[in-house]
Amino acid sequence: MFDSVLIANRGEIARRIIRTLDRLGLRSVAIFAPADRDAPHVREADEAFRVSSYLDIAGVLDACRRSGAPALHPGYGFLSENPALARACAHAGVAFVGPPAAASELMADKVRAKEVAAAAGVPVVPGFTEAQARAAAAPYPLLVKAAGGGGGRGMRVVNRPEQLDDALAAARREARAGFGDDRVFIERFLGRARHIEVQVIADAHGRVLHLGERECSLQRRHQKVMEEAPSPVVTPELRAVLGGEAVALARAAGYVNAGTVEFIADFDDHAEHYFLEMNARLQVEHPVTEMVTGLDLVELQLRVAAGERLGLAQEDVRIRGHAIEARINAEDACREFLPAAGRVLAYRRPSGAAVRVDDAIESGSSVDTAYDSLLAKVVVHAGDRPAALARLDHALARTAILGVTTTTGYLRSLLAGDEVRSGEIDTGLIDRLAVPPPPFTHRQVAEVAALMALAGGHERRGDDPFDRVDGWRLGGRRAASWWRLGVGLEQVDVRLDHLGAHELMRTGPDAWVVDVGGDRREWFYAPDGDVVWVGCQGYAWPVQTRSVTSEQDALADGDLRAPMPGQVLLVRAEPGDRVRAGDPVVVLESMKMELVLTAPVDGEVTELSVAVGDTVAVDQPLARVEAVAAG
Amino acid sequence: MSVLRSHVNPGSDEFRANREANEALVADLQAQLDRVAAGGGERARERHVARGKLLPRERVDRLLDPGAPFLELSPLAAHGLYDDEAPGAGIITGIGRVSGRECVIVANDATVKGGTYYPMTVKKHLRAQEVALQNRLPCIYLVDSGGAFLPRQDEVFPDREHFGRIFFNQANLSALGIPQIASVMGSCTAGGAYVPAMSDETIIVRGQGTIFLGGPPLVKAATGEEVTAEELGGGELHSRTSGVTDHLAQDDAHALQIVRDIVATLAPRATAPWERAPVEDPVVDAAQLLGVVSADLRRPYDAREVIARIVDGSHLHEFKELYGSTLVTGFAHVHGHPVGILANNGILFSESALKGAHFIELCDQRRIPLVFLQNITGFMVGRDYEAGGIAKHGAKMVTAVSTARVPKLTVIIGGSFGAGNYGMCGRAYSPRLLWMWPGARISVMGGEQAAAVMSEVGQPEIGAQLREQYERQGHPYYATARLWDDGVIDPRDTRDVLGLALSAAANAPLPDVRYGVFRM
Repeated sequence: MFDSVLIANRGEIARRIIRTLDRLGLRSVAIFAPADRDAPHVREADEAFRVSSYLDIAGVLDACRRSGAPALHPGYGFLSENPALARACAHAGVAFVGPPAAASELMADKVRAKEVAAAAGVPVVPGFTEAQARAAAAPYPLLVKAAGGGGGRGMRVVNRPEQLDDALAAARREARAGFGDDRVFIERFLGRARHIEVQVIADAHGRVLHLGERECSLQRRHQKVMEEAPSPVVTPELRAVLGGEAVALARAAGYVNAGTVEFIADFDDHAEHYFLEMNARLQVEHPVTEMVTGLDLVELQLRVAAGERLGLAQEDVRIRGHAIEARINAEDACREFLPAAGRVLAYRRPSGAAVRVDDAIESGSSVDTAYDSLLAKVVVHAGDRPAALARLDHALARTAILGVTTTTGYLRSLLAGDEVRSGEIDTGLIDRLAVPPPPFTHRQVAEVAALMALAGGHERRGDDPFDRVDGWRLGGRRAASWWRLGVGLEQVDVRLDHLGAHELMRTGPDAWVVDVGGDRREWFYAPDGDVVWVGCQGYAWPVQTRSVTSEQDALADGDLRAPMPGQVLLVRAEPGDRVRAGDPVVVLESMKMELVLTAPVDGEVTELSVAVGDTVAVDQPLARVEAVAAG
Repeated sequence: MSVLRSHVNPGSDEFRANREANEALVADLQAQLDRVAAGGGERARERHVARGKLLPRERVDRLLDPGAPFLELSPLAAHGLYDDEAPGAGIITGIGRVSGRECVIVANDATVKGGTYYPMTVKKHLRAQEVALQNRLPCIYLVDSGGAFLPRQDEVFPDREHFGRIFFNQANLSALGIPQIASVMGSCTAGGAYVPAMSDETIIVRGQGTIFLGGPPLVKAATGEEVTAEELGGGELHSRTSGVTDHLAQDDAHALQIVRDIVATLAPRATAPWERAPVEDPVVDAAQLLGVVSADLRRPYDAREVIARIVDGSHLHEFKELYGSTLVTGFAHVHGHPVGILANNGILFSESALKGAHFIELCDQRRIPLVFLQNITGFMVGRDYEAGGIAKHGAKMVTAVSTARVPKLTVIIGGSFGAGNYGMCGRAYSPRLLWMWPGARISVMGGEQAAAVMSEVGQPEIGAQLREQYERQGHPYYATARLWDDGVIDPRDTRDVLGLALSAAANAPLPDVRYGVFRM
């Protein structure tokens, strides 16, 4: 075994590998990009070396040389599947903890991988040439995929033959831009499918084992959201079939080390499954396999890379209970899952019995959109699936991340859904579901934010008597406090009884137990300039304390007035029309410019006082849009 | 610096009797404050709210930083005047923190006779502006007033300190860089129209605020033109056409938010002229104050019992403890602010006056604000004292009090009679703020003494009449109704009131030290 290992990665996976190295008594060597110099993985490693970037192969190997580490673990992402790194390691005499370059190159090429799989007797999705796809008998819908792609990029669903050319061109464009390789191929598209993958581990002495499957059907736009092991629909017989196929493929590819063979299975007939691709690295979701098998995959990887024999046989691999992983990402579920950034102001780690947390953050961490949005993986283990679901929800409910918008609350809402509870899940499910609203109203959130801001202000108050926040008035009276707060896009006016009237109990440096309409719960709080963050039960909200609307917006009751004298060029809406804020209503021509007057609010055009060709004076009302509650 | 100890026995009959008497006075004060807080009564309030308007106290509460204190000034103005039909004189004034800045707030109460200006309303408004001037505090006017109360035009319009002075002050405050901000939330008629017009930055609430020199009836009478109030001087007109206002708000809450946003844009306040120390609570129980303070003005008690319950840590570094002992002088802190305290402990002799003058000079040199705790029947009289020059020694103290540049704060905690009032910084000596305790009395001399003097000069029946008159006119409510002070306060509020006033006072830079001729 090696005496030390360099980890060419950051975030939760770097910390997770360090933990195994620690347990085995091996020295851990981290690398870090300049902005990560204070990151937890740098502190937790025995040594750390600065690199210009996690993608800098020469820099990574230089760190290996300087640290004297005889082995390199690439983690996932970054350089993990780049054969150039494996080759550079071989050249430098550093053991690469992963498959041989030849095997990973083979698996990286989707077309060749499919050929190898087919040859090994693994079912593959029926493929078509362009000519076949153009033939009248072609079984649409079809899928156009980039040969070098992954993660949904360079992928296009084609429903009708006449869409094929556009789809091919678009997929090639994306593939060239994304992977520098514009080869694409066409195959059958399964409308409703499950994503089931099999973990394999192979040593250099010819032993190849599978460690059971993981169900990863809960995806959003091809990004996995929750993963579990075992799959709720895989029987022991099917497991043996899938495992056998995965092992056969690994053997055929000359694969050594840990890898994952991905299949898609028909939603209605799980036994009908096809090889999708093989990932030549440790997967993000590997912990669920570790929890149900009791194995440490990183340890197995290290032993295999050190040339050791796998010390177990296929029959030694037992699947016990059920494990689920939820990914907490820095993304805004309410805004199309846009990546979020910021500084973690308060963090309470997910916790509970049989809960494993692989996380990248701590209180004070800054979250940058330059890297993967994964902040933490919450992995639970229980005797069966319902118990695991309950345990996961409980762990997420005990989580608080303030300062950066995360998917924690969204994951809880997702877990509450019938489909997830029953296991009736497919890869399109999440995209079909609306994002469920959190269980607190904006008013409740605003009230709690105000109360905690008051309590926080009381603790932070300075010596100046005007700093007090208890609503002091002459004669021993205490006045209520008023707040105008922005939650989401809503402005909420909150009146709070003076501080002395509230029963608050401090439970942590950034937590209080607060009464919300008779319901006492622990809420988290973190002020950040004009924003205060509050969180409860895994949900979190940034609350604006300064006014968020301009006078224009506030007064936007819908009168459209001419900003300049001019002539009406176009009328784009008639009385009775429903319009959305920003929709054009009247277009004026004035001083040789076209001025588009847009609806100030979502609503209905109730008045239109001009017609095309009319001359209008400055400030003349032209039309009126009355707000209509979104329905 | 020594820690004051209390020598009163809370178990004594005297303590209990004092407490009961003072508690009754405080309870009455609170009842008066409650009555005033209700403004013009239930029906007027309902009508006001039905128009979509916020009540004036809620406007103030919403304007202030959440939970911030509000040091209200003269809440009992006009008490017992005008048949009590103008509670608080129909206007709320005070000092409060808005967007992190201490500001003077002046809010008309339209539930009281439409917010019209009675004589005391004018006086209270002008006093608020004076407080703003002396302490360099931005002014925020929440305007909702029908202008001068016409039946009393002779008492509100023509004189120097009448209605017009409001706008004179606005111009001159603005000239000194003291921001003037107005939010028009109701009527703003005739002369009143100048409050927003004279302000640096002005807001109007749409469909609610109106500004015009002459209202629709006057216009009709004058020119025959028929026009609605909104057309004549509404928010849309003034914000889009006339430019009299700078911001258009959709409602009261929005207008107040805009005021807060405006204050956030103001230039930073001047650095405080003195440093604040960390705050300590008094170690002597301040809640005992009501039992300590003698309910009978004729029964003396040690002023240190009051000081111990007001100052930080009950620490007092006394000056000339052994000399002129009827005046206690010493250095202390209140809510972290350094203060020089002068407290009467009996009548003033020449020595006490000299000691007081010396101490005032010391504090002035050291940039330490002065706090006067007045409980004084006057200067000592008699041949020996006159011969000893008590008049010129008293004059030295009056000179020092008059010309000291540091902020002065006065609390009348007992009697305030005759020249004692002068030496101890009465209203005429422009303390930044002055309050009375509910058991205090103020008059040129005590009623008993006045009666006795008249008897001596052979007019005993006038004497009896004077006794009754002095007793009535010397009452704190009579005084506060006429703005002779900035409010009657619960003695237990004294420490907080002083602390807030000192923080407000720290907004103004200090001029150079300069004194008149001391008669030696």
